[in-house]
Parts: sequence; structure tokens; C-alpha cells
Amino acid sequence: MLVIKDLHVKFDNRDREAVAGVSLTIEDGEILGLVGESGSGKSVTAMSIAGLLPRKQCTYSGDILLDGQDLLHAKRSDLRKIHGTKIGVVFQEPMSSMDPLMKVGEQVGEALRIHTKLDRQARKDKVIKAMESVELRDPEAVYDKYPHELSGGMQQRAMIAAAIITEPSLLLLDEPTTALDVTIQAQILELLKKLNAERKMSMLFISHNLNVVRKLCRKVAVMQKGCLVEEGLTDEIFLNPQHPYTKRLIDAIPTRIRKEGS
Amino acid sequence: MMKYVLKRIGMLVVTMLLVSFLTFLAFELISGDPARSMLGTNAPSYQVDALRHELGLDQPFFLRYFKWLTGFFSGDLGISYSYRQPVWDLIGSKLMITILLSLISFALIVIISIPMGIFSYQWGGGPFEWIRTSFNQLCMAIPPFFTGILLSYVFGILFRVFSPGDFPDLYEEPGAAFLHLFFGAICLSIPRIAMTTRMMRSTIVSEMNKAYVRTAISRGNDRRSVLVTHVLKNSLTSVVSFLGQTMAEILAATIVVEQVLGIPGLGRFLVLSIAQRDYPVVQAIVVILAFWVVLAGTLADLINQSIDPRLRLGGDLA
Repeated sequence: MLVIKDLHVKFDNRDREAVAGVSLTIEDGEILGLVGESGSGKSVTAMSIAGLLPRKQCTYSGDILLDGQDLLHAKRSDLRKIHGTKIGVVFQEPMSSMDPLMKVGEQVGEALRIHTKLDRQARKDKVIKAMESVELRDPEAVYDKYPHELSGGMQQRAMIAAAIITEPSLLLLDEPTTALDVTIQAQILELLKKLNAERKMSMLFISHNLNVVRKLCRKVAVMQKGCLVEEGLTDEIFLNPQHPYTKRLIDAIPTRIRKEGS
Repeated sequence: MMKYVLKRIGMLVVTMLLVSFLTFLAFELISGDPARSMLGTNAPSYQVDALRHELGLDQPFFLRYFKWLTGFFSGDLGISYSYRQPVWDLIGSKLMITILLSLISFALIVIISIPMGIFSYQWGGGPFEWIRTSFNQLCMAIPPFFTGILLSYVFGILFRVFSPGDFPDLYEEPGAAFLHLFFGAICLSIPRIAMTTRMMRSTIVSEMNKAYVRTAISRGNDRRSVLVTHVLKNSLTSVVSFLGQTMAEILAATIVVEQVLGIPGLGRFLVLSIAQRDYPVVQAIVVILAFWVVLAGTLADLINQSIDPRLRLGGDLA
């Protein structure tokens, strides 16, 4: 279970707080959607959970607890043990998020190489399994390919495989489908649903697109200018948005799609 | 892979043809008649004409170029106008010395600047940053001829480690000759070590800001393991390209350093031959030096291509 209590983050070169007092809870096995426009602080919230904040260039306060363990104030060396074991992260741009000179298989198995003592062959077996579970076709061949030889959808599947290979309890998804075209987007969402159902993995799904969030998340939180403006069950918020900003976000979805979804 | 290598070699041949043609053309266009300069201004014109005929200078330009080219490929570089000896006999040993000098300089640059670049990234910053930067800029600004004079004075005259101006025979006293060349190489490499170190450091800094580094950290890498497993390899391609270009700069600088330290290499001979309008010699030296530079560039490309799979498509970086 992930608990965020009154998180504040302010970057030294900015006047406004990037995150201004956010409190959130993600129960085990739950997918929470975090929505907001760019600059709303949703990615900074995720980076704080992932321990990827540039700590020297910002001030922060509050608590982030994953299964009772403090993430926000933990030492770097302790955080590294959590990175890639308890928390997996998938980023927006799969192409630039992968090392262009390292074979895909090695990148998918990197967390294993860092955190376990498995030998090369054992790692490879696990990588192939993880690739199968994210429905990458022909994993043996993909293992030896370089990122640029894969399509965007395959790259993102590989990134998801890399994030779940150590079976973390929390998966952070920072706009994982934004860079992909719509059909691939739908496939990735289905895959995430399946992984969530099979593995009971908690997920924080960040998106600026309410419609995408609606397809995946039972609960959603809406952020604006660093603050949480609305939180609750996705369907309820869709039917009866309380905050004017949420209303605007829903209105921004093209009508046809809105009706199809309901 | 093989296809790429062949393509690169093809490009190398084309470049060499162009270089040789352009140098040939350059001597056609600049004023001055080699026959006239060999015989002196007072020689009667029938003598000059006779010599022109003997040297083949009365033949059409393209025919001469073609003859020279076929000769070059069969190992005949022509006869020197000034020395009346085959060009190869004149430049062979000098070529060896210049190539050795540039290779030693190059080795110094690679061996010193790559670790220094990593070192200055890892331990850079902090209160002494300005000392490092100033020292780096100082090294970059020192012209090789100045270092040459300094080293000649300190190691040649004060400590008598080597004797500037008196180059030992490469085959009879290889040790002493190497030492002499080593001092030359130091002069040549100092500014380039400074440049390459700086380049290596700034490449690492910019690679460290890329998205894949964030991914690597999210998997539990620390800064050092990110550097070792991801960033170094990604930084290497730009450094290798830079080093390929460095070879051209080293060669250009050998001309001066050879003068200052009295190293009997190609550079000195080239300057002399241009003054004497000894075209066959100049032509041969220019083409050989150009070949060496283009070869370095080609090798750099092939190395990069083996590092970066995206280059193997034969296209540019995406």
C-alpha cells in the first residue's frame, strides 16, 4: 500500500510549488489514475515516489510510505534497493528511455542484474518469460535486438517487461501511452489491465487524457497547479464532476468518444 | 557490416582520387615553371624547352595526371626535380618518422585524455573547479612550437636527455630516436589532450541528462554504474569521431614541430620542396599525408559503426 501524506515539492528555480500538499493512497492491487494538464505536478508526484527528484535542486516535505517504508527521506543508497525491486517505472517516450546501444534483452533484465545474483542464463530465462507476459512476439529474437529495431509499441512493451521483471509491488506509469498511436494505446491499456488482474500489482497511471484513464482506472485523482482538486471513483467523477477544472477536462474529450464510453 | 566496410573503402578511394587531382591541378595553376627555376633565369629558352620536354611538362595536363596516377599505383612516385632521384627513395625514411611521430602523439592523446575526461567528470566541480578549467584552457592555448622550444631548452640543453637538431638514426639507435620523437609527441599532444578531455567530459555531462539515464536509475543503478554500463559507451562515438579529426590536426602540426626539434620528417621536407617547386615530391607527400588523414577518418567511422548499431543501417543517426 502506498500512502502519500501532504507532499510538497518546490524547485529552487521556480516561484510556485510544483506539488502543493498532495495526499493520496493506493491500496494493494489498485490502479489509481492521476490526471492533470502539463505543469499540474502529476509527474513530479510520480518522480517523488520513484525517488527520482533532483534532491539538491529542490525542497520537499511530507511523507511517502510504501508498505510502511519511507521513500521521500530515505538515503540514496537505501532507495537504490527499492528502485527496480519494489517500484517499477515506465516512462513516456520508450525510444529515448532506452539505452540505444544496449540490447533490449539486457535492458529488460537490468534490474535482475543489479538486484539478484542470478547468472546470465537464469536472467535470460526470466527476461524471456517477462517478455512473454507482456505479449511481445518472438521474445528470443527481440532479446538480441537493439531498441531502434523495435516499433514504438514493442519498445513500450519491453519497457513494461523491464519494470515488472522483479515483480514490484508498485508500478508507476508516467504517460506510458501518450507517445503511441491509438490502436497501440488500446493494446497497452489491455495489457496493463491483464497484468493488474494477474499479479495484483498496484499501479499509478499518470495521464493528461481522462478518457484513457477511464478505460483503465477504477479510481482517479485530478491535479491542477500542484493541488489535488478532486478524487474518487472514475465513473462517479465522469457523471458528476464537482470541480470546475474537472468539468473542463471532461468537456475537452470529443463528444462522440464521451458517449461511446458511457 | 561487410557492405558498410566496402562502401567506406570505396569512399576512401574516391576521396584520394579527388585529393590527388586537386593537388595536381593546384600546381598547374600557380605560377612558376619548374624547368625555369631549375636552370636559373639566365638559361637560354631552348635549354628550358629541352628540360620541359625531358620532364614531360610539355604534355597535356590530363595525360600527365593520368601517367602520374598509374605510376603512383605501381609504386613509382616519379623523379624529384631537385635531387634527380626517385621520390620514394627521398621520402621513404622521412615518411616513417612522421608516421611514428603522429602515432605516438595519437597514442598519448587516447591514453591520457579518455581517463582524464572520466576523472574530471567524476571529481569535477567543487571549489577547485576554476583551477582545473584554467589549466585546461592554458594547455589548449599552448602552441606546439612553444612547447618544442621549452622542451629543447630544458631537456635538450639543461638536462641533455636528447639533442635537438641532431636526430639519431631510427634503425641504429631506435631508443634514442624514440625518445626524440617522444618529446615531439608531447608538444603535439598537449593542446589536443586538453581538448579531448574537455570534449569527453562535456559529452558525459550531456549524456547524463538523457532519458535513458533516468530509466537506468529507476532500476537501481547508482551514478557510477550508470556511467560504466550506459553512459561511457554512448559517449564514446562522439569522442572517436573527434579523435579521427584530431589526426589531421596532428599532421598539420608535425610540420612546425619537426622544424623546431630538428626531426627529419616529411613536414620539413615538404616546406623545402614547395620552395624549390619540386612538384613530384610535393605531390607525393600531400597525397600520402591526405591518405593518412582520410584513413584515420575511415577507421573512426568503422569503430563508431561497431559501437553504435544504428549506424550499421548505413544511414544517419535517428
